[in-house]
Amino acid sequence: MRRTLSILVSLLLVVSGFAFAGGSQEAGESAAQEAAESGPMVIGLSVSTLNNPFFVTLRDGAQETADGLGVELVVVDSQDDPAREASNIQDLIQQGVDALLINPTDSDAVVPSVQRANQAGIPVFTVDRGANGGEVVAHIASDNVAGGEMAANYLIDAIGGSGKVVELQGIPGTSAARDRGEGFNNVVNDTSGVEIVAAQTANFNRTEGLNVFQNILQAEPEIDGVFAHNDEMILGALQAAEAAGRADQIVFVGFDAVDDAVAAVEDGRLAATVAQQPSEIGSLGVSTAVTYLEGQDVDSYIPVPLSLVTQ
Amino acid sequence: MTTTFDLGALFRRFGLLIAIAVLVFGLALLSPQFLAVQNVLNLLLQATVNAIIAAGMTLVILTAGIDLSVGSVLALTAVITADVLQAGVPVVLAVVIGLGAGAVTGLVNGLLITLGRIPPFIATLGMMTLARGLALSYAQGRPITGLPDRFLLVGTSSMLGIPTPIWITAVVYGAGMFVLRRTVLGRYIYAIGNSSRAARFTGIPVRSATVAVYVISGALAALAGMILTARLNSAQPIMGLQYELNAIAAVVVGGAALSGGEGGLGGTFLGALLMAIIANAINILNISPFVAQVLQGSVILAALLLHGLSRRNQ
Amino acid sequence: MQYSLKMQGIHKHFPGVHALDDVSFDVEAGSVHALVGENGAGKSTLMKLISGSLVPDEGSIEVFGEAVRFRSPAEAQHHGISMIHQELTVVPERSVASNIFLGREPRALGGLFIDYRALNTQAKALLDRLDVRVDPTVPISELSIAQQQMVEVAKALSYNARVIIMDEPTSSLTERETATLFRIIRDLRADGITVIYISHRLEEIFEISDRVTVLRDGRTIRTDATADLDEDTIVSSMVGRTIDTIFPKREVEIGETILHVDGLSGNGFRDVSFSLRKGEILGISGLVGAGRSEMVRGLMGIDPVDGGSIDLFGQPVTTPRVAGMMRRGFAFVPEDRKEEALFLGMSVRDNLVVSLLSRLFRSGLIQYGRLGEVTAQYIDKLRIQTPSQGQLIRNLSGGNQQKVIIARCLALKPSVLILDEPTRGIDVGAKAEIHTIIGDLAAQGVGIIMISSELPEILGVSDRIVVMKEGRVAAQLDRTEATQDLIMQKAATGGGS
Repeated sequence: MRRTLSILVSLLLVVSGFAFAGGSQEAGESAAQEAAESGPMVIGLSVSTLNNPFFVTLRDGAQETADGLGVELVVVDSQDDPAREASNIQDLIQQGVDALLINPTDSDAVVPSVQRANQAGIPVFTVDRGANGGEVVAHIASDNVAGGEMAANYLIDAIGGSGKVVELQGIPGTSAARDRGEGFNNVVNDTSGVEIVAAQTANFNRTEGLNVFQNILQAEPEIDGVFAHNDEMILGALQAAEAAGRADQIVFVGFDAVDDAVAAVEDGRLAATVAQQPSEIGSLGVSTAVTYLEGQDVDSYIPVPLSLVTQ
Repeated sequence: MTTTFDLGALFRRFGLLIAIAVLVFGLALLSPQFLAVQNVLNLLLQATVNAIIAAGMTLVILTAGIDLSVGSVLALTAVITADVLQAGVPVVLAVVIGLGAGAVTGLVNGLLITLGRIPPFIATLGMMTLARGLALSYAQGRPITGLPDRFLLVGTSSMLGIPTPIWITAVVYGAGMFVLRRTVLGRYIYAIGNSSRAARFTGIPVRSATVAVYVISGALAALAGMILTARLNSAQPIMGLQYELNAIAAVVVGGAALSGGEGGLGGTFLGALLMAIIANAINILNISPFVAQVLQGSVILAALLLHGLSRRNQ
Repeated sequence: MQYSLKMQGIHKHFPGVHALDDVSFDVEAGSVHALVGENGAGKSTLMKLISGSLVPDEGSIEVFGEAVRFRSPAEAQHHGISMIHQELTVVPERSVASNIFLGREPRALGGLFIDYRALNTQAKALLDRLDVRVDPTVPISELSIAQQQMVEVAKALSYNARVIIMDEPTSSLTERETATLFRIIRDLRADGITVIYISHRLEEIFEISDRVTVLRDGRTIRTDATADLDEDTIVSSMVGRTIDTIFPKREVEIGETILHVDGLSGNGFRDVSFSLRKGEILGISGLVGAGRSEMVRGLMGIDPVDGGSIDLFGQPVTTPRVAGMMRRGFAFVPEDRKEEALFLGMSVRDNLVVSLLSRLFRSGLIQYGRLGEVTAQYIDKLRIQTPSQGQLIRNLSGGNQQKVIIARCLALKPSVLILDEPTRGIDVGAKAEIHTIIGDLAAQGVGIIMISSELPEILGVSDRIVVMKEGRVAAQLDRTEATQDLIMQKAATGGGS
């Protein structure tokens, strides 16, 4: 008897739940406002993948800051799947979060989700990767231009202020390759005595870094330093120089501080690698959102500083 | 009936060789570095991985099949080999394990195609995703770096001044040409590609020959992966992305028809060589990365056009 | 006499082949002119020159007295020459009228829209002129092959064709449809239109044509009024020698039973039983779709068998597979040469030895010396016309291709040879040679099973005839009792005996 009753009650609950879900489409905006007025702030964070330690650290940074500010943080994992991302964000909108931090799996695929949040009146912030459409209040990401400048300054110091350098570029047209290259070139072009003797793409790929740098070594008898837009390429280049017996004449600087690169820095094979600070990205994301929700203006681009890993 | 001197046939046969010769001559004029002995060796060394994969792909395409899984199989076998090496397995045994793993993926491809009656494109597309997933989970998404010196010799040592990978490639092509020209299996491969129905009617063991070519393709992808791993002193689960397309391009540039039964390893080697020459020249001449892709695409299309035109004149 | 077409001293070379060698070809205006010759004699090449698909290396072409040099089929069409190909070139999903005026549809509203009313009226007028009762608005795929052909004729007329070339137009027509086509050809002639008619079927040529030109090896052999010729003359002009008997039946001593098939069943055939003796030629007759090919494919182990038994030399054969059947002494010449037998991109030698490889080279390694010897032996024995062993088989004529397939089987030294339509689509000369080969094999003690849809061939070659109907054996007849009428009656109506 009790059993039947409990089944009936749960059925009722399910049905009413459906009814609520059905009506919440237009209720979205008012729900958001309501939530803003009563209780603690709720911020939704959609992460592209938690399989990558970079984003795990990003989430941890966001959580820490949220806890410190007394904000509730709801984290969803897209597992690098744009479809899952879309339904995750839909859920967050449904829950009536006060602000959305989105780390998109794909800058184009995320656009409809951003627009849906715009319709529901929920402010959207993108972290690490941007969105190519919709209204975004602010983009919080590593300052790749500054990172490129940092690498250039370090490299120029390490080769003694003048010499011939090589730039290994990332996949042509990607924002990371563009920004890191821009920063690097800004500094090098302003420094007399330093010449970029070769600028070639190795598509962010270690094998290509090996082959491309092997060819450049062949073409250029004198190379003092090399900067690669990521660590994979610099590790390949390092391998090529070691095979050619020229590694000790060249200063290598990479970008990203992946494990292999950090190990190579510790071994003294790699001079330096530029590290992003994912924890800082997450933290700045939450604090920017809170600042905005409290009614203050925020910049549309919040650059996150980078750090240099050296021996 | 008279036989006239046939310029078309000459061009059909040696067109690609002539084109490469002209290209090399032009590049040598542009940069004195290009024909330096060391650069020629670099270039051949850089061609080896694609050339070895493309050798297996040639056999597959000759049977009118396709193997899209080679890039992923390369990554999977590379991380397996690197992992067992780090676990202290002797180098020779690790190499055997890696080649065996490649052969097993090929066997699965072959059985899916013959017994499962799944079209090669679909079956190997599935294996492409499966093997990549296995590689990523096996390595937890991370590179496996730091391998025994004896293994690194596979990629970094030289014999008689010529890097070992080039020797390995030479052996692969020598053996492959022997199989295609002088063995019964070779005749069967061509026959199946010409008409698998006629092959069945003729009593040719279509299934086992088909399985054999996919096994060979898988094992050669594994071999290429080992060379790459030894050169990098690192195996990565994201290695070999899109290598299947490079290999198919080399085979087709080499004059094989995707419809099967036509082509050979000589052409494929030239195709792989041409692609390596272009990549090398772009670096040597420091050509802008944006223009580089235009050049690579144009040269591949020009080579295909060459085959298309000479075929039409047939 | 006005000529619609005059060709003088035409030469055409292809790599390694002198396809047309000083051909002259004159066609009287308003006549039906037949063009005959064996496969590879140069008929197709000649027609491609006339219809603008190819350009001659040398020689002159005049159309109604005007010297022309066509560089495209469109130019030829412009001069009133239309060709109707053996394989029709229709767009299946478009209507009859659209197919007739493809790309030239009447326009309305300043050329923006197709004027369908005008299109259908004009198409109807053309079809009426041919007295063909077909609705111009239905999709052409709903028409029979014969009707589609009529539409092609209407299309030719829409170009104001003065010369219409028909390449093997009756190859897929029934007798009644053929009669309709001939009526249309006669009507066209009455309207002053010239028809060039290419066919293998000599009886049609006698029925429809006014004059005949015979081509052989790229040369014009003769052009005469049809009335002055008889069948033997044409055949010997085509093959270059006189053919005494089309079916040279030899008396062969028939030995013991070597094969016994009992109750064989599979997809398309049921409960088939027969036996075959040493030196015997067993003909298998029946209508198309009677399950003959399916049955021999089951017997050879190509298609699965789901019942019955096969005994060879008293040994039961269980679950046959092709390679195993070949090892046991079977050999098979399949029905569809292109799809089931030939490796078109491979050499004559590779095609000839393919079944023998595993037997000759147990180690898997090929010795080319051995292969060359075997190939040379069979090229010589079967008189296969090929410039070299390395020639691609696709460059051989149909008859020579078929001889290579037969050589492939003979190289296996079979005790049972199965041939499915061995002479279909092959010219008369090669056909007689193949019959001689079959006779020789029987004389050497090989048991032969031959499927043929051609009754004179079955009657001429076989010792015994199995007639199949709807997948079953309808009758077994001895050569002494069999007649065309009896076979047809058994094949059509069945009736066990």
